[in-house]
Amino acid sequence: MGFLKGRLTFRRYRVLDPLPSDFRDRFEQAFTEHAFREKSGISKGEETVGWVRADNLLETDFSNRDKWLYTHYAMAGMRLDKKSLPMPLVRAMVEKRIEEWCEENGRAKAPASVRTDIRMNIENDMLARTLPTVKVVPFCWNLPEGWVLFENTSDRINDRFRTLVRNSFGIGLEPFSPLDFLVDSPELVEPLASAGMTLMSGGGR
Amino acid sequence: MKDSLPHLSTEFFTWLWWTSETGGGRIDVDGEEIILWVDDRLAFRLPSEDAARAVLTGDDTARAAEAKAALAAGKVIKEVRLRLQWADREYGFTLKGAGLDVGGLVLPALPEEGDEQDRLMIRMESIEALWAVLGALYRKFAGIRTTDAWSSDVIPGVHAWLRGEA
Repeated sequence: MGFLKGRLTFRRYRVLDPLPSDFRDRFEQAFTEHAFREKSGISKGEETVGWVRADNLLETDFSNRDKWLYTHYAMAGMRLDKKSLPMPLVRAMVEKRIEEWCEENGRAKAPASVRTDIRMNIENDMLARTLPTVKVVPFCWNLPEGWVLFENTSDRINDRFRTLVRNSFGIGLEPFSPLDFLVDSPELVEPLASAGMTLMSGGGR
Repeated sequence: MKDSLPHLSTEFFTWLWWTSETGGGRIDVDGEEIILWVDDRLAFRLPSEDAARAVLTGDDTARAAEAKAALAAGKVIKEVRLRLQWADREYGFTLKGAGLDVGGLVLPALPEEGDEQDRLMIRMESIEALWAVLGALYRKFAGIRTTDAWSSDVIPGVHAWLRGEA
């Protein structure tokens, strides 16, 4: 992971709520309660999400704090599992099965209810045999200074992260704004925020 | 605190590019000289859209006629890959979007010894040092952007630079 080696891509957040004095206990409990758990019956397109330890995506035991608390940084990963099916193959299998049903039943066309049943059965059968796509996105939280780096810049994944943090820790995150750089220059914020867009295109040949 | 105001980030990217190109890459930041240059990637979008309309990559991207032409044609910078040097540190990274997302960050060479915790501390300190310099650069930009110097010096300067006069 980028926090420990290699290149790093991230979105930065400000932590909106104060850190409780008993955060170690609370965080351990929150990680544990919202740890990633595999679901036996995951439906098509459904995502399963939860925390895993940064050292191994199969590790969800947060009782050893040395595995997620590094002096003043908390580090873990958000795991998302999702199952998806190869839809051209599903459609072809459904059509073939419908043809077989029509032949077996001497009908020119299968009723809608039969078509639905066939499609559901095939999808459920394939889902049971399909491994999920697994994504783990690490984050690193500077606890005293109140900022978080999350190793992903997709809006959808980031929305899942903020929701999981809110649900787990009861703490809100706000994406970094460059105006946050001006915290010690507050006189610049208002004029900058109200500045309209500058057209740079006037210099073309 | 507030919205990210996307047009300010694109103007910040443009200001960084122009300042770097016209100042030989040297920029004074809070009394310390840094060296900054646009590296091998620039992505442009239309002001009204989020999707990239032109992506330039490769050596000397910052001086490519196509890059200046994109800006002169009214596009704005969506992503810029930068190299930044000061003291004995050198970083490579891409800044993108209104919130200054960071992509492909290459940190300075760091000591290999130590355990996982040591490595994390050193790397996070290195990231914070970069963030402090970016903050100083943004404050410098904001200081200019909110004064008459923006319209009297910067905009004419950018236009002249786009015409190849600077």
